[in-house]
Amino acid sequence: MTVGPPAREVPSSDEGGGWRSWGVTAIFLVPAAVFLIVWIVYPTVYTIIRSFFGRDGFNNFVGIDNFKAIFTTSVLTTAIKNNAIWLGVVPALVTAIGLIFAVLTERIRWSVAFKTAVFMPMAISLFATGVIWRLMDQKDPNKGTLNAVIGVVHDAFSPPGPLSNAAPSTPSIVGSPQTGLVLKTPIAPGKVVRLGLTAIPPEDVPSGAKQAVQPPPKPGEIDGVVWRDFKPGGGVPGKVEKGELALPNVTVNLRDSSGKTVQSATTDDKGDFAFKDVKGSGYKVAIGADTFRQPFAGVDWLGSQLITPSIIIAYIWVWAGFAMVVIAAGLAAIPRETLEAARTDGGSEWQVFRRVTVPLLAPVLSVVFITMLINVLKVFDIVLSVAPGSTQTDANVIALAMWRTSFGGVNDFGLGSAIAVFLFVLVIPVLALNVRRFRREV
Amino acid sequence: MSKHRLIAAALLAATVAALVGVSTAGGARHATTISVMAVWTGAEQKSFEAVLAGFQKTNSGVKVKYTSGGDQMPTVLATAVQGGNPPDVAILAQPGLMKDFAKKGALKPLSFVTSTLKANFAPVWSQLGQVNGKQYGVIWKGANKSTVWYNVPAFKAAGVKPPANWPALIKAASTLKASGTNPYSIGGADGWTLTDLFENIYLRSAGPAKYDQLSTHKIKWTDPSVKTALKYMAQIIGNSGDIAGGTSGALQLDFPTSVSQVFASPSKAAMVFEGDFVAGVITSSTKAKPVSGFNVFGFPAIGKSGTVVVGGGDTAVMFKDNPATRALIKYLASPEAGTIWAKRGGFSSPNKKVPASAYPDPITRVTATALAKAPVFRFDMSDLQPASFGGTVGQGEFKIFQDFLKNPKNVNGIAASLESSAAKAYAKGK
Amino acid sequence: MAEVAAQQPIVVPDPSDTVAARIIRIAGKLPVNLFLAAIGLVWLVPTIGLFLSSLLAPNDFNSKGWWQIISKPSVATWANYSNLWNSTDIPHSLVTTAEIAIGGTVFPILVAALAGYAFAWLEFPGRDWLFVVVIGLLVVPLQMALIPMFSLYNKLGIFDTVISLVLFHTAFGLPFAIFLLRNFFIGIPKDILESARIDGASEVRIFSRLILPLGLPAIASLAIFQFLWTWNDLLVALTFARNTQPVTVAIYTNLRQFGSNIDIIAPASFLSLVIPLAVFFAFQRYFVQGLLAGSVK
Repeated sequence: MTVGPPAREVPSSDEGGGWRSWGVTAIFLVPAAVFLIVWIVYPTVYTIIRSFFGRDGFNNFVGIDNFKAIFTTSVLTTAIKNNAIWLGVVPALVTAIGLIFAVLTERIRWSVAFKTAVFMPMAISLFATGVIWRLMDQKDPNKGTLNAVIGVVHDAFSPPGPLSNAAPSTPSIVGSPQTGLVLKTPIAPGKVVRLGLTAIPPEDVPSGAKQAVQPPPKPGEIDGVVWRDFKPGGGVPGKVEKGELALPNVTVNLRDSSGKTVQSATTDDKGDFAFKDVKGSGYKVAIGADTFRQPFAGVDWLGSQLITPSIIIAYIWVWAGFAMVVIAAGLAAIPRETLEAARTDGGSEWQVFRRVTVPLLAPVLSVVFITMLINVLKVFDIVLSVAPGSTQTDANVIALAMWRTSFGGVNDFGLGSAIAVFLFVLVIPVLALNVRRFRREV
Repeated sequence: MSKHRLIAAALLAATVAALVGVSTAGGARHATTISVMAVWTGAEQKSFEAVLAGFQKTNSGVKVKYTSGGDQMPTVLATAVQGGNPPDVAILAQPGLMKDFAKKGALKPLSFVTSTLKANFAPVWSQLGQVNGKQYGVIWKGANKSTVWYNVPAFKAAGVKPPANWPALIKAASTLKASGTNPYSIGGADGWTLTDLFENIYLRSAGPAKYDQLSTHKIKWTDPSVKTALKYMAQIIGNSGDIAGGTSGALQLDFPTSVSQVFASPSKAAMVFEGDFVAGVITSSTKAKPVSGFNVFGFPAIGKSGTVVVGGGDTAVMFKDNPATRALIKYLASPEAGTIWAKRGGFSSPNKKVPASAYPDPITRVTATALAKAPVFRFDMSDLQPASFGGTVGQGEFKIFQDFLKNPKNVNGIAASLESSAAKAYAKGK
Repeated sequence: MAEVAAQQPIVVPDPSDTVAARIIRIAGKLPVNLFLAAIGLVWLVPTIGLFLSSLLAPNDFNSKGWWQIISKPSVATWANYSNLWNSTDIPHSLVTTAEIAIGGTVFPILVAALAGYAFAWLEFPGRDWLFVVVIGLLVVPLQMALIPMFSLYNKLGIFDTVISLVLFHTAFGLPFAIFLLRNFFIGIPKDILESARIDGASEVRIFSRLILPLGLPAIASLAIFQFLWTWNDLLVALTFARNTQPVTVAIYTNLRQFGSNIDIIAPASFLSLVIPLAVFFAFQRYFVQGLLAGSVK
């Protein structure tokens, strides 16, 4: 049966016919009709008309100004750009991940458990998902799970230095914590150098540190002291004063004029170090970058740069299970013989997958892809709950922009209607697809 | 057959009845319950609920249901009023909002409370609750926003004294930094903390006259005085290393956390700029003790500004007029209501009958009386502006000052976008 | 495991050979198993993290992540939950959400079952065209209805009530429900209906005695979907029910001060997802069936 002209004869299987048959049909259809007309059809017409009027209501016809505003207001263009990113990335990624999971679960015995775990987020609201991922995405590696994991890896490869917060106390020390700190003036033997560091929290001072003492000069040696150049009130920078602590166990390097390290020494509990048997001149004293290496500060997942990718990750976490289950069902429907035949023909697993499995799955994959297209166009709650207030504008999407414009403070129903219409126009191609599929099926 | 039709019909009827029952039950609740909406959440919400509990003790027939509007309250309320379903009583943090609602005719006049106001409040506070000479609001909670809260042990360890003027503040910050403590904690995820900081600087650097002009958009935000104030502000927020968590950390930090991290142990910063309500957050979420653990100093003077105070007031208004709501308004105007919250901390009452002894510690006593004694007092500027510019999350001032925190060098660009946003908001308001 | 044990006594001509073969087979599958185990863990951790976070005292939250709850002499506490129960609106919000979800499930299914039957088995002019219209309505974004219904609800005086949300969810649940049920009903063997009609049963009786019982699997899937959808909704509730406050809205108002309200946000979020998860685990089969039938949406 196809959807043809509706004017076929009305078969009156019911002998009573006439009004009674009509009455029965009405009982069945009228409730649905009322809901659909009052809550969907009427509002759709209303919103389309409303979109041509301004903020103040129906006495304020503005033509297509609202639609122009969609493409000229920066908040809204950001939303459109973000939604474009969502459209470009999410449906493809979700379909691909779902396909991979579906294929791989066929090879394990505990596939039911796996599928349940991955599918479970489907039951959780996108809003609560947002809360969950906002917790995961905290910047402080002590709080955010993602950064904690990255931090473990990061610190294993480059452990933080003992004095990661330190800075030079006077301009006579140059360089930066990234390259190491170097005393500006070249030194000859018989001199004493003072390497004052500041901005060191008391708890960073190694235990066992005593009052810093500036060592006396010795011939043939370069001596010096490394200390926390701070006492309450600040003190005089560059001078070793009473009440200022030594920094023990700091490695100090002696570099020759070419910049090569010729000697290394470690400070004692008075902060003192000595390079013995030094000849010539033009030496520079330095503390290597290792000492100042920063601990992992955390990726700024919720900052303006990464906020959209972060939300997308959370979103994929929810929908991958959907794709997996639908594709797995499609996979189960493929006759085993087809695959076996391809294998016995000498195809490798990969070739069988690409040449046979994927083409056979094409209809299922397209269903998943199209479903995700629509979902992504309407994405709303998860953005609202993952993004903190300061980056919500950076993470804006069309559906959220519609709500914020209409109900979130601006309260411009004209522009809000226009955004809703814009959203509607975007999903119409999918509507056409659905209707066509239905015609084919019936 | 008719039996089954009956069953079907009965089923339908039952469902309908159940649903209608649900909705009318919701309606019936209103008879004995009055709803109150205010911005407060967290510790402040708990304190306000204690105040409401005091009301219910003396008015046992009335149940008060508190709903927090959060900082989107202007929107929430506007929507509810538009929807014909406002709360019975609301406490507004924005003086402009009361005017808007009064003009729309949404508020009920409070003539019944005039004598109480006269007895309990200085005239200036009653006047702030009037629109065109008619009483619509009771300002029952004041706020001194010209305060800086500091971690006493951190100041001691760095050998720093509370600064009295701007250069001393900058010097103190660098000494604190040298001692290994981040000087500032900034709750940048809430835009209003940043506007409050700006307003304190502006009132001091530009003076009260300019402040009034800028509040009403008589001068533009591109005015040199604004840029000067922004440059002062950049001395605070300009160095990411001076801020706990750096700039990006500050942008994700909400206000209560920005306070608690200063006074928690280990502490993450030495100072936090915000109003007297900080004390309530400190006592409820950290173990720091007044004077030995935390203390307060007035926002430092700039040039010859002297002691000036930026502040706010929370205005109780009435959307529905009945004996229960009248009783609640009268209660809020009484010293009893103020005393309950005063005892819990984080509260300054403009009610002169609230005894100084009600404040739990010497610190609160100082901030509360400073509010009354200040030679120059100005309302928080962002509260005086159209909500779409001065009071809406994610846009206007809140958003632009967050951009400024992100890029503190962009003084001219920030001034320009403030101006264009303000111009739009004022054009729509008229 | 049981399967392996059962096989052993039968196929053991040369034990060393089978063992070796099995080791190779298992080793070959080891990467896949490990990979999927890691993935499965990644999918479970966030939810577990939320639960454990909800057990952290507010002071601990400022310095600790949920994983630190396990190591130390446990710092876990139920204080957040008891506080949530005694001194916040969250329990009331959960009840409100339940009211909305139940109403928003029963109504659309009832209405859709009626219409679905008509589209499947009653003859009337324009039937197919009307059904195409219903399918067309399937994709209308509900954003199209927010503004007009906002105004209409105000005029009707049902703004910010449970019933206004139930009716809204009913309408927007209908197209999919009608589509699904019609397709299911049409698969019911025609003979059963014909013989009932010949016996003189009325359409109403056929509907209530035959169609509803036979359609139960589809109705169950649909009910689960609709329940989860209405339970989890934020957009509609945020627009029409700021004071009525279902749980999503209640959490939302706390969300602005994420760091400091986490002692409310985390346990409330967890409670809000316990019920949908329970529904999901109890009726997983129907859920998947509905999903497969409905993935056309």
